[in-house]
Amino acid sequence: MRILYLLFLGGGFSLLVANGFLGREFFGNRRRADLPPSVRQTPGAYRTFLHNNGFHGGK
Amino acid sequence: MTTLASCPSCGAALNFRPGTMVTVCPYCKALAARRDRNPELLGKVADLVDTGSPLGLGASGTHAGRAFTLAGRVQLKHALGGVWDEWYLALDDGRWGWLAEAQGRFYLTFTQQPHGTLPPVDALQPGGPADLGPDGLWTVGEVSQATFHSAEGEIPWAVDPGATYRFADLSGRNGAFATLDYSEEPPLFFLGRETPLAELGIRGGLRKPAKVGVQGLGCPHCGGTLALHAPDQTQRVGCPSCGSLLSAADGKLAFLKSLKQPRQDVVIPLGAEGTLQGERVTCIGQLRRSCSIDDTDYPWNEYLLLDSQHGFRWLVQSDGHWSLATAVAPGEVPAVRDGQKNLSALGASWRRFQDVTAVVEGVWGEFYWAVEQGERVEVAEFVAPPRSLSCERQAHKGGGEVNWSLSTYLEPETVWSAFKLEGAPPAPQGIASFQPNPHKATLAKGALWLVGALGLLLALVLAESMTHRNVELFHQRLDLFELARIDPTSAAAPDRRIPAKRPAPGVQPATEPQEPVYFSGPIEIKNGFQNLALTLEAPVNNAWISLEGALVSETTGVAELFLVESSFYHGVDGGESWAEGAQGETVYLSAVPAGTYVLRLAPTWDGRVPPVRAIDVRLRQGVLRWLYPGLALLAILIVPLLLVLRMTAFETWRWQESMYSSKTGGG
Repeated sequence: MRILYLLFLGGGFSLLVANGFLGREFFGNRRRADLPPSVRQTPGAYRTFLHNNGFHGGK
Repeated sequence: MTTLASCPSCGAALNFRPGTMVTVCPYCKALAARRDRNPELLGKVADLVDTGSPLGLGASGTHAGRAFTLAGRVQLKHALGGVWDEWYLALDDGRWGWLAEAQGRFYLTFTQQPHGTLPPVDALQPGGPADLGPDGLWTVGEVSQATFHSAEGEIPWAVDPGATYRFADLSGRNGAFATLDYSEEPPLFFLGRETPLAELGIRGGLRKPAKVGVQGLGCPHCGGTLALHAPDQTQRVGCPSCGSLLSAADGKLAFLKSLKQPRQDVVIPLGAEGTLQGERVTCIGQLRRSCSIDDTDYPWNEYLLLDSQHGFRWLVQSDGHWSLATAVAPGEVPAVRDGQKNLSALGASWRRFQDVTAVVEGVWGEFYWAVEQGERVEVAEFVAPPRSLSCERQAHKGGGEVNWSLSTYLEPETVWSAFKLEGAPPAPQGIASFQPNPHKATLAKGALWLVGALGLLLALVLAESMTHRNVELFHQRLDLFELARIDPTSAAAPDRRIPAKRPAPGVQPATEPQEPVYFSGPIEIKNGFQNLALTLEAPVNNAWISLEGALVSETTGVAELFLVESSFYHGVDGGESWAEGAQGETVYLSAVPAGTYVLRLAPTWDGRVPPVRAIDVRLRQGVLRWLYPGLALLAILIVPLLLVLRMTAFETWRWQESMYSSKTGGG
């Protein structure tokens, strides 16, 4: 039980510290990616790039 | 001043000090009563029973700064057959004190003039209260009768040989003790307290050396060898060889009857020595008792232990559970009413668990009272794990008595280790009434961790709240018509009718979405260790707007991609109004390295025309998210909560067996 508790405490505080002091986010509809220069320079390509990365807006 | 007189029987010299009513001739055992002229012969007394008393006639000591001499002794026979001593202290100020000796305990009392009317003996119930008015509220320990048996020395009361009188022993807090003696009318009132012998500083006197060690005797029925470890105090012996019940007096055994003993399933043999709670003890008796609840018999074993101070303790074994019990003076426990559920005593709160009639089924070894097979006592058990407080009431000729005992739960391994028993103890069955809750102990051990973790959480949240300033990096109101290059005047008015039904999930837009994209100017991010929050606010009404976006580093091209939506629907369905969604949403992004960034936003909506004219987009940095402290708090509390659940389940299981549980509604 003590080990289980330590695991829970470790997990909880790791999330808190990573978010509060390193700025890491673990939940939410977001993703980090390298945006190729071609995409950066073309609005239409940018939308396609987002779509291909799983961002599908709308109902 | 001592008066000298001659024995009316043998002419030997007799002493009558002030207050002496009767003197026993040391030569012919004549009982001589003080009279105006010559002593009157009342009769002769029987031989004294060897009670193993450590006191002797003529011994001296001090009490409250006054010297005293043990001037006399009377032996009284109890209604249950035992004999006890009453010693008379002649103090140097002319007063007399009564020193009663029973089961190795001493009670020193003095006659008192009661301040009120003493209650009649029939009004007193063992275990019940005795209200003596100005003389206090007492607990009745015993109501019984005593018969004069023998005497020696000088006695300060008019002895009537062979007379029987009733008495009540009262017990109060902190060892207070009183006796109401109903041999006279009005009754006599003796007041005092339990007094350790060492406190009296007794020295000298004529006494037999105390029997020490083991006395070997033969069973008068089968001839088997019986080892008596407390021969001075033993009154009954159950022969383990032939099952005979024997009486013990004056170092001799007498056959009383043959017992039909149950199967002996004890684990601690007679004579076994061990060390329990730092005290050297010897098992001298084994008792099998049982009670019946709903026509089911519940047997248990009790082991009588003799400690190094010649005191007694009980080791109780029931369904693999063990406990160690010691006697508690009745006065230490407030009077208990029938069915009373809660009790406050000995600095603890106790909860009544059950009431049973305990019956003695088997007797092996030696006992300090006249135990009988079939002996019945009414037991009321109160528990405060890991302890229990039991009240045993026994009715007998002349009244009855109440005995309280305090039991402490022992782990079976403790008993095995104490007596060096072979093998492993059997696993306990079920939950004992006062078994400590193991989850409670675990929770208590973890309390420090819990407090420490909560403190750390508080400190981290405080630190985070001081460093997170919610800095706004970008704020823009986007005109969607302008962004999508739609002429507002030519655009059809959006359908603002309230839909009759909720929109079916997965409905695709009727027309292809527009492809407007917004590019922000350079956004300078200086802190690379704080999160980002992008908030979309769009006052949509039964419509949605989705914002696909990216926060792109101008130098590396690394982008944080995100999706945020504003979707709000409401209506009436079957006469009930409903609403879902919200007119805004925030998406949180991980911290990005310090540098210059550009925000690219691509809004989409259903249909050709946007549902609202403009949307509001805001980017902030250093936003305190309560989700993470909440998760940490959950991590801190989840194991304690789990333990609380298990602790509660354990208690529920325990109290299912009680006749005073809330479910059974006992009492």
